[in-house]
Amino acid sequence: MLFVGTSLASVPLGHSATVEGIDRRHPLRKRLLELGFVPGARVTLVRAAPMGDPLELIAGGTHFALRRKDLELIFVEYTEGAA
Amino acid sequence: MLTIPTLNAVPPRDARERVVLVLGNPNVGKTTLINALAGTNMTVGNWSGVTVEKREAKVYFAGKAIHLTDLPGAYSLSPNTPEELITRTALLEAAPDLILNVLDAGNLERNLYLTLQALEFGLPMVIALNLMDEAADKGMTVNAAALSQAIGIPVIPMVASSGRGVKDLLRFMAEPPAPTQTRPTYPLALESAAHQLEAAAQAFEKLLPHTRRYVALNLLEGDASLRSKLTITGHGALVAQSDGLTQALASTNLEPLLELAEVRYSEANRIARLAIPSFEHRRTLTERIDRWALHPYLGIPLFLLSMLLVFRLTFSVGAPFVNFIGGPLQETLSGWAAALLQPLPSVFGALVNGALIPGVGTVLAFVPTLLILYLAMSFLEDSGYMARAAFLMDRTMRSVGLDGKAFIPMILGFGCNVPAVYATRTLENPKARLITTMILPFMSCSARLPVYVIFSAALFGSAGSTVVWAMYVLGTSVALLFAAVLSTRIKGVQDIPGVLELPPYRLPSASVMWKHGVNRTRSFVRRAGTTIATTVAVVWLTLSIPVSTGQGFATVAPRDSLFGEISSALAPVFAPAGFDTWQATGALIPAFVAKEVAISTLGQIYLGEQASSPAPLTALEGLTRLGNGLLEALRGAGASLLEVFAPPSLNADPSSERGNPLTAALSKAFSPAAGLAYLVFVLLYTPCIATVGAIANEQGRRIAWITVGYQLLTAWLLAVLTFQIFRHLL
Repeated sequence: MLFVGTSLASVPLGHSATVEGIDRRHPLRKRLLELGFVPGARVTLVRAAPMGDPLELIAGGTHFALRRKDLELIFVEYTEGAA
Repeated sequence: MLTIPTLNAVPPRDARERVVLVLGNPNVGKTTLINALAGTNMTVGNWSGVTVEKREAKVYFAGKAIHLTDLPGAYSLSPNTPEELITRTALLEAAPDLILNVLDAGNLERNLYLTLQALEFGLPMVIALNLMDEAADKGMTVNAAALSQAIGIPVIPMVASSGRGVKDLLRFMAEPPAPTQTRPTYPLALESAAHQLEAAAQAFEKLLPHTRRYVALNLLEGDASLRSKLTITGHGALVAQSDGLTQALASTNLEPLLELAEVRYSEANRIARLAIPSFEHRRTLTERIDRWALHPYLGIPLFLLSMLLVFRLTFSVGAPFVNFIGGPLQETLSGWAAALLQPLPSVFGALVNGALIPGVGTVLAFVPTLLILYLAMSFLEDSGYMARAAFLMDRTMRSVGLDGKAFIPMILGFGCNVPAVYATRTLENPKARLITTMILPFMSCSARLPVYVIFSAALFGSAGSTVVWAMYVLGTSVALLFAAVLSTRIKGVQDIPGVLELPPYRLPSASVMWKHGVNRTRSFVRRAGTTIATTVAVVWLTLSIPVSTGQGFATVAPRDSLFGEISSALAPVFAPAGFDTWQATGALIPAFVAKEVAISTLGQIYLGEQASSPAPLTALEGLTRLGNGLLEALRGAGASLLEVFAPPSLNADPSSERGNPLTAALSKAFSPAAGLAYLVFVLLYTPCIATVGAIANEQGRRIAWITVGYQLLTAWLLAVLTFQIFRHLL
């Protein structure tokens, strides 16, 4: 399956995006799906840890920490400028 | 090593018995709930997955005996961690009367994913809608009746920490409701594949009928641990059939894993909207705290500061009690014992006053210190701050090949290495589990603290607490260094991907924290009364047996005893580290059993003779001495409580340990450099038998022996290095 979308890693901090899908090569794909990173879910990037990584994000009301690298293969719909 | 149990038949059960499995996501307050239901001493944690072992409780209600089993927190019934595997195995093999599903009312959608998975079993189920108060703080009004109607099972709104809803829940546990027929509906092709597998599963007697649909769906999803388990237990044909079906589905571009997750989440979302029609987002306290606690620049300094505060609190408040128990209390007990034992042969007096009282007493002197340390640790655990520490340290931990989550067992290791080893079960990556387990024994546990404190007081005066600090830093550094080395040797740990939940902060309940702290302290005291008392007695015995003829039992000089001979033979090994006396070496041998024994043994060797002939005391004399000592200790503790928050000066009060007779003996026996090297050795070599046992249990005996081996080697090398560097400096 091919996802045409923006990578979640490119969404700036403080902004939200809508999940389109997770690449099949993503090592955490199963876990992320189970945690609610399903197509249509809203994800907000909150802040970065010291030294820029990992990132704190909110999905479905829960706060999670994920590494920047692991955001790369999550594809989202993101409208620039919309907080 | 984690064993996967076989599929067993369920034994028939008495009609007055009820078996309840408690299921829920991590951090939903399951343990608090069981605590409220059963009032048992259970530990409660707030970082993901503190329920490492299966915990059980029994409640009597309405003429029924209700057996509760607390399953480890799980996000899904398709396991990703050893903990989730335990939960799944329990659900697959027990036929409970009721599944009690605990939900976080403020996190309904994600929690319902697990609920929808559990519904596939078709067993009687009740939802405990917990943390209603937190949801209200978030601005949510959760409608339990609407939730109940949408799923078709009873829902009880609860605040487990205050006991709200407990009675209603008990009623449902005594008389479980009928199971609901509500299930999520998956795409047709997936449903028909599942039906075929369910039908095929009927041929296998060992698969309990109610598990068939769950097994079918998880096989289609590609659940690796279920596949291997079924293959091993003779269900290979079923696995093969599911492979065929999955391939057929894949050819139509249908991926069961994605479909199941999507359907369950859209269903969860629909149900959550019914239960929470609207809500205004309020800025929670957690968000406000995290602005500072997770600050990009201040986060790590604040974390280090809080650790510093914990240790300062531990040392300064505990120290006056150490003096009291080591001084007036022991003297009084010895005096009384001497009075009581006067009519008996002198050998009894020697055993009690020369070995047991000083040996066990020196260890017990640290009870107040440890109680404070344990209370502080449970506060960090229960408040949710541990997950933040993992978040803050992730980047640092990654530079040694591990991740932030591995940092949590390491912090727990400061308390005790044994639970820390078991806490590695929350890590997803098996290699990361292995490496974390192997480095944990370097983390300075509380049993090592007595050794540092006594030596620091004896040798380093006002620099004492700096030395104690240095030990913690050194232990942690060596652990990280080993992680770095091991992760290059063991493949598959570089860049472990991981997702970590940051649960909301919760003010730990004082009573739960107290129980937690007292429980751990009690097991330390029990250890002092059993393992340590036995070791002390054995050491005394070997100290009493003469090697050469012409000397009598218990009258032999320590140096000429069996213990002295063995120690002297080993002592030259430590010559380059500066502590090659037989006394110093000898104390290290029984300390394999438990580190605090080093202090007991040194006490026996150095003080044994002078302590074995105390002046007998009358009851009244003893009591006066005790009263005065206790008063002084309380005054000291009160004064130092204020000092904890004083501007940072690492220096402890140099006079704080002067009352202890052992410190006086040690200050004569060790040079400062040799003492420092000795502490380094004590810090780094095998922590205790119990930790070795825990490692063997989790990772196998081979790994346990390897760990013991390199710890001894590292300890020796660094002790030598320390002595060689500091012999000219100190």
